[in-house]
Amino acid sequence: MNARLTDLDSCATEPIRVPGAIQPHGRMLVLDADSGRELAWSANWGDAAQRAAALSALDRRALDVPEGESPAPAGLLTVGGQEMDASVHRLGGQVIVEFEPAAADRGTHAPIYSLARHFLPQLQRARSVDDLLRIGVRELKRLTGFGRCLAYRFDAEGHGEVLAEAMDEGYERYAGHRFPASDIPAQARALYCLNFIRLIPDSDYVPVPLESSDAALAPTAIDLSLAGLRSVSPVHLEYMRNMGTRASMSVSIVVRGRLWGLVSCHDRDTRFLSFPTRAACEHLGRLLSVQVEAADERAEGEQRHELRELTLQIIAQRADLDASLLGLVNEPVPLLRLGRAAGVAVVLNEVCRSFGEVPPAPEILALAEWLRHRGDQVFQSDRLHELWPAAAAWGDVGAGVMAITISQVHRHVILWFRTAVVQTITWAGRPYKEVRSEGRIQPRSSFASWKEELQGRSLPWTSAEAGAVMELRQSLIGIVLRRAEELNEVAAELGRVNKELEAFSYTVSHDLRAPMRHIAGYVDLVLDIEGAKLGDKSQRYLQHVKDASAYSARLVDALLDFSRMGRTAIKPGAVDMAALSNEIARELTRFEPERRIEWDISPALPVLHADPTLMQVAMRNLMGNAVKYARDRAVTRVQVIPVERGGLRGVEVVDNGVGFDMRYVDKLFGVFQRLHQSDQFEGTGIGLASFRRIIERHGGQVWARGVPGEGARFGFALPHKNEESA
Amino acid sequence: MLKPILLVEDDVRDLELTLVALERSELANDVVVVRDGAQALDYLRREGEFASRVAGNPAVVLLDLKLPKVDGLEVLKIVRETPELRSLPVVMLTSSHEEGDVVRSYALGVNAYVVKPVEFKAFVAAIADLGIFWAVLNEPPPGSTKAARRFDGSA
Repeated sequence: MNARLTDLDSCATEPIRVPGAIQPHGRMLVLDADSGRELAWSANWGDAAQRAAALSALDRRALDVPEGESPAPAGLLTVGGQEMDASVHRLGGQVIVEFEPAAADRGTHAPIYSLARHFLPQLQRARSVDDLLRIGVRELKRLTGFGRCLAYRFDAEGHGEVLAEAMDEGYERYAGHRFPASDIPAQARALYCLNFIRLIPDSDYVPVPLESSDAALAPTAIDLSLAGLRSVSPVHLEYMRNMGTRASMSVSIVVRGRLWGLVSCHDRDTRFLSFPTRAACEHLGRLLSVQVEAADERAEGEQRHELRELTLQIIAQRADLDASLLGLVNEPVPLLRLGRAAGVAVVLNEVCRSFGEVPPAPEILALAEWLRHRGDQVFQSDRLHELWPAAAAWGDVGAGVMAITISQVHRHVILWFRTAVVQTITWAGRPYKEVRSEGRIQPRSSFASWKEELQGRSLPWTSAEAGAVMELRQSLIGIVLRRAEELNEVAAELGRVNKELEAFSYTVSHDLRAPMRHIAGYVDLVLDIEGAKLGDKSQRYLQHVKDASAYSARLVDALLDFSRMGRTAIKPGAVDMAALSNEIARELTRFEPERRIEWDISPALPVLHADPTLMQVAMRNLMGNAVKYARDRAVTRVQVIPVERGGLRGVEVVDNGVGFDMRYVDKLFGVFQRLHQSDQFEGTGIGLASFRRIIERHGGQVWARGVPGEGARFGFALPHKNEESA
Repeated sequence: MLKPILLVEDDVRDLELTLVALERSELANDVVVVRDGAQALDYLRREGEFASRVAGNPAVVLLDLKLPKVDGLEVLKIVRETPELRSLPVVMLTSSHEEGDVVRSYALGVNAYVVKPVEFKAFVAAIADLGIFWAVLNEPPPGSTKAARRFDGSA
């Protein structure tokens, strides 16, 4: 790794833009842009007179080209008895004129027209990037006659992966191979973006130096970035020779201003290309660039559209389900597809819910905590263990993680997990350059396939995927915020209603109880003073009046208790259900001394996390009912047993009493709902309603089962302590 | 000479029943009846229509919680804040045992708190117990004298 960096760095300092020399297959003149005066020339001109003749033969108007554009044709002229193509470009206040041997094909036979005839129709038909590159290399090979054309794309790390190739027999195949990023140093990449084409007709060439008449202008100060004849780095020539390549050409594919890929042509023999052919090749590169960009955008657009659909699907579920993010895991499929993940987990403070292939929950919680402190809105890694060493112990599961942090204050994180895949990269040779003992850079000499296996990595997360989860994050935050607002409104409304209810129940308790008391009191007084004078019937009627008022007073009291149960705050603690049940059983037995009651209270009853006072009311209701409704039995049997239900723990009370018809089970828990006539069993019809209210305020569930004449079972179950915070 | 019992009750029927209960409990104390909190304070502080009454505090005040003008809790608060009245025994009578009332009454230093029972016999028993405890057994603070006059329940 380090060796690679060292070489890349020293390579990257080579002055490739200003070599002070050109390749020998052409000649160069460098002019001052303002005066047209000759500043420098390549050393392969005959003499000054020959240069002057060539210059005077040039159409001076052709020298007026825009700054920084690639060379433009400047006509055909004869220099020293040879037909030559002239091309001109302007860079940094200098006009550079290049002369090369003229091409045979001219006019409408020029390669650019054949490109239009051949290539454009195919280009239109191509649907994918792979298609484009395939026809691109075929066309380039046809145009240039190079023995092999490779098209490759650079990945995020700069390695070039060969996606298409076209070659003559006898050339080595490179399809599917990777060329390491270090093959092309940074400044060469920058140059590829500027100058779309670079030709080396003969790697064995001897550079021709530039000469200058002006001592103030060093030839190595002339910027040849755009020049077709620019002499290249000797390291690169050695690289070519190592690869068995005599001639090479590269055409850039630039997408959105970045070097996306290259079409690279090689030949075992020298291969000169005329200026018009090169112009056609450059044109081909630009066409490819445009098409690749369009295809890329189309593919990305389609993917983005698909991901947006998934995001909407996930959000739509959220809108009509409860506010808890944990519920997201109930419908895991869109979530998994959104992240193309093997597993997904939602962390809400201390609680973690997951689906699919994920690491153990405590590990996810720890990771979520770490992510929260990192503070990224979206986190992604295809090799988590490099950043979070604990992940190394998970094996292949969760090698790659993408996560969104919903809240920085609370631990609210959604995580996608990808399992490790062993990725085999076929390098075109070991991707390392060598530094020789004398410190000179040595390009790699082997291009034989060399396979590298990447362990502990998942497939990388794409920018579209990261964008999609980012969007999901925004939507979820929107929902959470809206939900919080709604909750605030509901809380305010509840507070108001509670106040009203309190005032109401105070009035009821005070004002309703008073007339009851008066009725009972005066009837008592009448019975007391006049009782002896009254007939039996009158006495009995007055007794009914008394009883009725006493009963309504009890109803008022029961209603008050019920409303208080909904209003008072729950103060939870540990409640030993066995101890509580035994205590209530003793008390109930004491009230019914003449009855035979057999209690069977399981010693395995749980210790519940609940309000002790309310739990006592709840159990007294259940056990009191059991005793009451088994009154007609010779022996009353009441069992209290532990239950586990869907992750909840609780208690069930089973009796051998009159039971009830399951058709009316829904009515049992309503206020004032009674299934028995009141002269059969006394009561206010509020006990079970209170019971249910108590259990529901603890986040639990109640149930009832009954068979007429055989008995009933009433139960409840509460959540475990640690799930309450969810 | 026994000090009177001050009964503060606005409801005519409750008043009558309470007086019957006190009668039946056979206490020898006179009963002074006032009908709202303001009157009760006037009596205790010898102001307004009670400006000319003989000085001295009652043996006990039976104070209804819900009263017109100045309610029972306010009366209690003023009693506890007035140096001459501070040690006066006050028993709160109320229709229900709303938790808030109980808590506030005790916070204000009530001596006892009684929910009026619906059963008349229980009511008589409760009033009798109260009377015996506070008017007879409890040695009243010095300065209490027999009431100057007695209000008729029906007035």
